[in-house]
Amino acid sequence: MAGIIIFVSTVAVLLARQLNLGPERPAPGFRTFGSAAAPIHIQEYSDFACGACRTAAGKIEELLELYGEGIQVQLKHYPLLDIHPWSLDAAAYADCAGEQGKFKEYAALLFESQEKWARAAEKPEEFEAFSRGLNLDWEKMQSCAAAPDTQKRIRLELAEAEMKGVNATPTFFINGKRAVGPAQLAEQARNFYKLIKKRH
Amino acid sequence: MKDKTTAINTAGLIARLLLGGLFIYAGAVKVLAPAEEFAYAIETYKVTGPALALRAAYIIPWLELYAGLLLAAGIFTRFSAFLCGAMLVFFELLLAQAWLRGLPVTSCGCFGSGGSNSLPFEFLLNLFFLALGYPAFRHGLFFSADKGMGRERS
Repeated sequence: MAGIIIFVSTVAVLLARQLNLGPERPAPGFRTFGSAAAPIHIQEYSDFACGACRTAAGKIEELLELYGEGIQVQLKHYPLLDIHPWSLDAAAYADCAGEQGKFKEYAALLFESQEKWARAAEKPEEFEAFSRGLNLDWEKMQSCAAAPDTQKRIRLELAEAEMKGVNATPTFFINGKRAVGPAQLAEQARNFYKLIKKRH
Repeated sequence: MKDKTTAINTAGLIARLLLGGLFIYAGAVKVLAPAEEFAYAIETYKVTGPALALRAAYIIPWLELYAGLLLAAGIFTRFSAFLCGAMLVFFELLLAQAWLRGLPVTSCGCFGSGGSNSLPFEFLLNLFFLALGYPAFRHGLFFSADKGMGRERS
């Protein structure tokens, strides 16, 4: 009897994990776009050094403009540490720019120039140049990026993504349904009107 | 006399279900979240390094879940009540040392990563849960699987 209970509960937990039924950690406010009351919720796991993520960022921007209050997007970090050595730093600096009110602007610059810094042998100068270009406090950004809280937040998002079986970027969860890459996002976006209409 | 026995048994059953339910909930919210989340909470108690905290974070939530399920169902009732009690004593020691050292523990990790109450409050709350352990251990066999199977000394 004990064996059955342990076996069944283990299977139930593993299944619940696969179905993303665990508690959700919301992305910080500066990485959340759109209303919480929106009928469509998109979570995007993204890496600033990934080309497809740059394309997806443009697509997300279009969707936000097109559907306005109908969608909410939460951007979460999933730096591919094995192939993009500076992704984790980029994510940390972007968050710290966000704490100074300019996440979107800093993120846009990171995506635009990803070829320049993504595979740099030494720490890219772009991180500082973007910060100064946006009139951000670079010294503050540096201490913020190294702070345990910032690192912890990104590492937890990484762990959360791995638990959900994310292994490529960008991966989206659109009202819980998985889409990998900008093409699958566009495919699911074709139903957005229907979903929004259904809610109203 | 019979009324008194029924009341004691009912109290034992309620304590068993409450304590079992509490452990099921505490375990479930943690096994459904990344282990790193709980590991960070453990680290704030400053009694282990990150590697041991992560190992503990992989094991403890499952232990809580299994012990809670067994206790609620009344399987190996005494053993599972003892196990829950032992875990509560261990948590109580962790909370007490953090409280005495004045550590800035913002999330006790008791029920996942969400913020928690102050350490003294959590300590007292844990004490209440611990108090439930006694009737669950001593009189928890009422409506239990153990009793159903004639295993009344588990």
